[in-house]
Parts: sequence; C-alpha cells; structure tokens
Amino acid sequence: MKRKLLSLVMAGTMALSLAACGTPAGNTGVGTADPANTPAPAPVDPAAMEEEITLDMWCIATESDSNRHSYEAAIADMAAAYPNITLNWEAFENESYKTKIKAAVSANEMPDIFFTWSCAFLQDFVDAGKVYCLDAAYEEFKDELPESMLGNSTYGGKHYGVPLTMNIVGLFANMDLLKSVGYDEIPGTYEEFIECCDALKAAGIIPFGCAGKETWCVTEYLESVIEKSVGYETLNDIFLGRATWDNADVAAAVDTFQSLVNNGYFDPNGIALGNDEVKANFMDGKYAFYMNGTWNCADFANNEAFFPKVKVAEFPVINADKATLGQLIGGPSDTLAVAASSEHADVAAKYCFELGKLICHYGYLDGCGLPAWTPYGDTSAVNALTQDVAVICGNATGYVLFGDTAMSADDANTYLSYVDLVYGCEVDGQGFIEGLANDIR
Amino acid sequence: MKKKDIVNYLAVFLFLLPALALFIGILIAPIIKSAYYSLFDWNGMGEMTFLGLANYKELFTSKAIGFIKALGNACILAALSVFIQLPVSLALALALGRGIKGEKPFLSVYFMPVLISTVVIGQLWLKIYNPDYGLLNSALTKLGLENLCRIWLGDKKTALLSVFVPTLWQYVGYHMLLMYAGVKGVSPDIREAAKIDGATEGQVNRYIVIPVIKPILKVSVIFAVTGSLKSFDLIYVLTNGGPLHATEVPSTRMIEMLFQRNRYGMGSTIAVMMIILCFAFALLISKAFKEAD
Repeated sequence: MKRKLLSLVMAGTMALSLAACGTPAGNTGVGTADPANTPAPAPVDPAAMEEEITLDMWCIATESDSNRHSYEAAIADMAAAYPNITLNWEAFENESYKTKIKAAVSANEMPDIFFTWSCAFLQDFVDAGKVYCLDAAYEEFKDELPESMLGNSTYGGKHYGVPLTMNIVGLFANMDLLKSVGYDEIPGTYEEFIECCDALKAAGIIPFGCAGKETWCVTEYLESVIEKSVGYETLNDIFLGRATWDNADVAAAVDTFQSLVNNGYFDPNGIALGNDEVKANFMDGKYAFYMNGTWNCADFANNEAFFPKVKVAEFPVINADKATLGQLIGGPSDTLAVAASSEHADVAAKYCFELGKLICHYGYLDGCGLPAWTPYGDTSAVNALTQDVAVICGNATGYVLFGDTAMSADDANTYLSYVDLVYGCEVDGQGFIEGLANDIR
Repeated sequence: MKKKDIVNYLAVFLFLLPALALFIGILIAPIIKSAYYSLFDWNGMGEMTFLGLANYKELFTSKAIGFIKALGNACILAALSVFIQLPVSLALALALGRGIKGEKPFLSVYFMPVLISTVVIGQLWLKIYNPDYGLLNSALTKLGLENLCRIWLGDKKTALLSVFVPTLWQYVGYHMLLMYAGVKGVSPDIREAAKIDGATEGQVNRYIVIPVIKPILKVSVIFAVTGSLKSFDLIYVLTNGGPLHATEVPSTRMIEMLFQRNRYGMGSTIAVMMIILCFAFALLISKAFKEAD
C-alpha cells in the first residue's frame, strides 16, 4: 500500500514538476553550447566498468548534513560493487559549495561527478557545454527512474542530471507547545492559524523560528505565503519569467507576510542566526513552528526526545479564491551531474546513476526526502514524519520550485535581496514588486 | 656606451629577470586580465559580450549593486583604523618600547590575535555577540544594563560597528609591532640626553620618538587604509554583508557579483576599482607625509 502511494506521489509530483520547470526543446538560453544539438554519447562499454580508474566527486553532504549517512552508505555499497573504481569524494558547506563549483566550472577544473541543484543553477553549466549528456547512460536505468523525474535537469530535450530525492517546504510544529495553548492539531485554516499564533505569543512562546542570516530560510515562509495567496500557477509564471513581478496580488501577499513579522510572530533574534542554530532552537522547544525543507525529517527523527513532539503539515490557504491546499513549494532539486571534461565521462555517467539510486534509497530510508527513483527493498522503517510528507505530496495539485533554484543566478540574488528588505520591513509589498519588476535583468 | 657597461646592464637585467617575471605573472598580468574582463558582460562560462565602460557606469549608478554604500562603509573602517586603531597601537608601542616590566609577555599577548585564523576570531566574536547566550549581552544583563542588550549583528544600526570592533582589535597588535620595532630603534643616548635636559616622557615621545618613527607610521597608515578598503574575511564570517546590506564592503559585493550572480564582468570591475582606489590612497598618504616633512 505504502509503495503504491509512493508511486502515485512520484508520478503525480514529477508530472507537475516537469510542467513547472522543464525547458522546452531548443530553448536553452544564451550560452555557447546548444544542448539540443549536442550529440548523445555512445552507451558505456561494459568492459570500461572493469578498468582500474579513480573518480572524483564533490557534494554538500557534510558531517552535519542530513544526507551524510545516505552518501556514506551508498558509497560503501558502490565500493563493494566496483572495487576497481576508486571514488575520492569531498563534501563542502552548502553556500561555499555554490562558489566553489562555479569557480571550478569557470576554470574547467570540475570533478568527474558533482552535486548540483537542478533548473537554472545547472542550466548555466549546461549552456556553457561543461556537463556531460546522460541520455545514453539513462537507457539502462529508465525502468527504475521515470523520465518525468528528470524534468528539472532536462535542457533542449537532453538529460544532464541524476535526481536524488525531492523535498517540499513543510510547516513543522512542536505539538507540546501547541497543546499548551489548546491546540491538538496544526490549525487547518489561516484564521485558526493566526489565532494559534496569537495564543502562543500571549503564552510567551515564539511562534516562528527563521534564520534571517540565510535568506533562503526566509523564502521558505514568504514563498508559501505568496503561493497560498495567489496560487501556484501565478507564482510559477513569475519565477520562470513568463509573467512580471508587477502583480498586485503578490504585493498583497507580501504585506500579509510582513504583518506576521510586524505582529511579533518571528523570533527577533533569528535575524542574526544561521539555519543550524534556528533548527537547534526549534528542537529545544524555543519556537512552535519551523517552516523549512522536508529534508529536516531525518534530523528530527534522529532526535529521540524531540521526534514524538513534531508534526508536519502544509501552510494553510490564505486566499481560497486563488489558491488551494495541495499547492506546494518544492520539487526534485538535488541532483548529481557528470563533468563533460571528465577523462572517464562514460563510466562516470553509469556510476553516477547507480550511486544516485543508492543515495536516493538510503536517503529515503533515513527520511531525507521522498525518493526520485522507484523505491525498492523494505521501506517499512521510513519514519512517520516522512510518511506524512508523502501523504501531503500525494494530495498535491501543483508545485513551485524554490525561487532561488528556479531563477537564474543574477535574478535569484536580486530576488533574495528584496526578500531581505521585506523581512527587515525596509520595503512593503508594493516596493517589493516594483523593485523586482525594475531590477530583474 | 662602453662594452663593459652593456655587459653590466645585461647582467643586472638577467639577475632581475626571474623576479620581474614573477612580478608580471603574479601581479601585473591578473590586473590586466581583470581590467579586460571588466569591459564585458560574462557569466564566467559562456560567451562574452563587449560592453565598453558600461559596467563602470552601472557600478556607480546602480542601487542594486550598492557599490557606493559599500565603499562608504570601507571608508568608515579606514577612518576608524587611522584615528582609533593606530593611536592605540602607537600608545602600546611607546609604552612597551620604554622597556617596562613584562615587555615581552605583553608583546606576545597583543600580537596573538594577528596569529589566530580570522575564521576562528570570527567564530569567537559570533559567540560574544550571540543575542541569546553571548558574552556581551550576558555581561550587560549581569550589570543591570538590560536596556543596552541588542541583537548586535542582526540590527542594522549596530551591525557595522559590531563588525568593525573585532576587525580593528585583530590588527592592533600588528601595527603595534611595526611601531615597536621603530621605537626600539631610537637610540637610548638621545632619550637620555633629552631627559637630562629636563624633557618629560611625553615630550621625549612627541619630539623625538614619533618624528624618528615617521616612516613606519606612514607604512602603518597605508596598510590600515588599504587594508580597510579590501577588508573581507572577518566581515564575511560575521555577517556576510548583512543584515539588509548594512555591513557590505567592496569585497563582499565583488564576491556576490562573481560567484553568486555569475557576473564576472561586474565582479572584475569592482576588483579594478579596488586596485585603483588602493593605489590612489597609498600615493595620497605618501604625498601627505612628504608635505608634512
């Protein structure tokens, strides 16, 4: 039953995701290389997988990352399966990795296999002709990895990435704190939600924890509020450049978000804190709610004292005329790719698929997200929180990929700057939409 | 020109050649290349589009890039360095240079922050400024000054000063050591002669020691000002230019343009402007000291 549910979740999710972020064939931006016209490499020679070779890989699965265990387990399995292939892997902190991989791409000093975010982030590399086309290697895995899963890493009709897990933004709640103010469940409507926040505040409990030092954490709140106010199609159109930011409904949604800030629902100290500190505070019972990626399910599940207290839900609908429950922020973004400059690109491509499958498998078992690959083996040990996420995704009607992943690097940073200004109450909704309409190149 | 002179010049040239090659390869060539990239719109990977001086125009007119504000912050840091950091360093150098008891241990203690990694110092000060359990807010609370407690790095009114304090503190020892070497170079005979003539310690410092170490003071001022213009590491660790861009300096803007926005042309433009500004300030300071002489 669980497996059937997951299959439905995956099929539905990825079809929605493909519609959201897939690049139409031939439309590959302004780069030097045209992925549509790049010939697909020949399938890997089985003998090549038996050669003694060394592959390098960069990723972001640092010691403190939720995915660390899934990488370690997958790499150990790969080492056993391919003793002739030595994998040298290094993990870097999320933000510094973005700088490192871009510098490596510019200098043509990429590792054979590298972690990347899909959509616009990977597209810059693909347009520059720096990423190896995975079409040939994919043939061998198409039964286990539905093509719809590759939508966010398909450019010009060609596949350039191996998706790992998919995640959405979840509204995590500390139920002990909610119960202390008379709520046994996470409020389902926006009005009840605000009443709950007021009750928490009156009881001296901070409703929201948000790491203002890392703007992407603010977007987890802001994008949810916008989506549940204007609907996922409008937000998707804006993120993907099909519509202007100059939208009165978005301005009103930003004002709604700002009213949450001005009402004192957010921890004022959060503006100087990073995400790890805020997450630790949430687990310590300092905040009632924490809006963040569902990859956190793994960390929450690993904390025996905290896990029984936490529940996950989606953000309630603010404007029922334009948005519905089931419209979510997220999608498959975590991806592995192969450098076009790799000396053993064909072997690395196959290795990348097999490794990706294993990381996905272990990541799903650990609760790091929903699987992009068809699940296999015994998955009964998946934690209850991740199963709840699967149910939320099973009811999804539309997805909007994280704004800073969907937009190009320059646009994304302009957007993040304005998100900062909104969180700091330096501009209101009108200033936000006007500024972005003017400043996004 | 005599043949012997030609041989001599050739020998000099040959001996200078390795250093010259290194100088050009490591310093001049990258500057020229940066200046070249600054004329293009380029994402660091794909095609380059020639823009002429459009990047320079955008740099000084675009609010989104915020270079003027970042430059203003760097100038505030330079002013604080010259008018607070260097006088403190000089005072310490003069005090230690007199040969007080415990001179060497004090010297080591003051110089220690220079030896510690900036990232470590950043982490230490993050803990000091932490609004929940930080040393600063805890001390203020213990002293009954709760009203002075702040989110030091999260409030844009206090963030800039909060970032500058550890930046200035870290390099007090560095400038002190430069000046201390100069103070120690002043002949004890001159000091003694002045004292026999009735000069106080303050008068000895003012009329003898400071004029003697003026070339070192000039170097310190140049280091402090140019170091402020290109300050980066501690600010990156503490606030990364935030909150709301309150602590941006040219280097943080450059990093954002280069690696977060993929605007290598604009990043190179900021790099070129920083080089020009550092050279200009160094020349101005040298001229100012020369005129004072």
